[in-house]
Amino acid sequence: MRPSKERDSNQMRPKILRAIDGMHLPNEYRVLLRPGEIETDMKGNFHRLPRFFYEIASWQEAHEIRLAPHFTLAELMLVDCREAQLLLSQFPHYVPCAIVLLARLLDDFRREVDAPVFISANGGYRSPAHQIGGAKSIHAWGTAANIYRVGDTFLSDAKSIEKYRAIMASLGPAVFVRSFGREQGQTDDHLHIDLGFVTLTPRECSDAI
Amino acid sequence: MSREDVSGTLNEELERLAAERKARAIAVAVHDLETDLRFSFQGDRWFHAASTIKVAVLLALFRAADEGRLQLNDSLHVRNRFFSAAGGTVFHVSPDRDATPELYQSVGRTAKISALAHAMISGSSNLATNLLLEFVGVEYAGTVLREAQVHGVELRRGVEDHAAHEQGINNEATADGLVCLLSAIRGDFLTNESKQKVIQILLEQRFNSMIPAGLPPHAIVAHKTGEISTACHDIGIVYLPEREPYIAAILTEFDSVQEGRRETVAAISGAIYASLQGTGLKSNET
Repeated sequence: MRPSKERDSNQMRPKILRAIDGMHLPNEYRVLLRPGEIETDMKGNFHRLPRFFYEIASWQEAHEIRLAPHFTLAELMLVDCREAQLLLSQFPHYVPCAIVLLARLLDDFRREVDAPVFISANGGYRSPAHQIGGAKSIHAWGTAANIYRVGDTFLSDAKSIEKYRAIMASLGPAVFVRSFGREQGQTDDHLHIDLGFVTLTPRECSDAI
Repeated sequence: MSREDVSGTLNEELERLAAERKARAIAVAVHDLETDLRFSFQGDRWFHAASTIKVAVLLALFRAADEGRLQLNDSLHVRNRFFSAAGGTVFHVSPDRDATPELYQSVGRTAKISALAHAMISGSSNLATNLLLEFVGVEYAGTVLREAQVHGVELRRGVEDHAAHEQGINNEATADGLVCLLSAIRGDFLTNESKQKVIQILLEQRFNSMIPAGLPPHAIVAHKTGEISTACHDIGIVYLPEREPYIAAILTEFDSVQEGRRETVAAISGAIYASLQGTGLKSNET
């Protein structure tokens, strides 16, 4: 994340995002992204996976796309080799449109803590084909983030995680933050935040099947 | 000197060193590729493998690359959070006990698998080891050892898994087994490209106070050390320009307060070299 003073007016100009309907993607992408499919979460609740995606042509473009004043798209889509090979190694990449909401939340948080906020690898959007969590993880909606560092503070102990958890939770009733701990549903080496299973239909797209 | 003389002399020297240096146990295995001499002193005794087990992880990693399961250029999330082999409780490795503390600066980001392999061996990084072992899987690594017909090396868990240690779940090895492991690396088990890379990684070892310290300066050693409170080991392939290489595994066990452990391993390395010189250095004899 770049400090605000480094941003000039040209960088602030929003780059046009190309929204696409995942239903129209080639089959090799559809089997991995599973647009609009129903999936159950860890508790057995049903959710519909994201259908609409932004198409990203290159890493350079991902770095240039500023979703919020302090967050580029690239910061929210870094994954490791546990991602499906096609989605990892080849462009275009596809990220759910609701990721813009996540970026806005992270920017609010960044303003509150007044320090750079770092999202971990595999800690932003992960596809339903990713080996960690797969389609049952809320990260497949692009509405969850794992923050491993705020400023110079690594979030790896109860004190730092609970401190920033309280700040994040104060940002709104729809914000979910995992507590510190080593039990199922807790974290001890990052701050997990999410907005729930939110999907977003861009203005120019249709939900018609 | 005949093979019997070599073995007899080395046996005597090892017994003398064990008594003199107050070692609780010493085990040595050697395979001389110049003469095909195989020597084993307590070679089937099991020891805590300490960091020598990282060579088994390295073999599994490159086998996985050869099988197309991973690419060495791939990136892996660096995360200091692992699950114990004893019940799955979470544990972390300590940067204070890691010879590669700089890797901890990458926590949260990614590192290339190849870079982690280097860190695991040359700097003996516990963090890199656990990341790689978690990625390839303990079960897969065990399968690779079996397929390579490496007997005498039991890989059961990551490093610094104290909960597992308390339950007696440890990585263990014999000197014979570790020579077998290095022989598998040198043989045809890996592709030629992977074999060369593995040996190159072992050649870049930063801790050289044991096997290399007992050898003449022109010797080059592809090796891996291993030290915990009571164990002090070194295993490696010794390259000398005047002859074919030999493979040696030197495993020792001491009381935790005993000093001079590395020097003992170096002395054993010197004894092995001196013994093999009597039969192996044909070019010097002519």
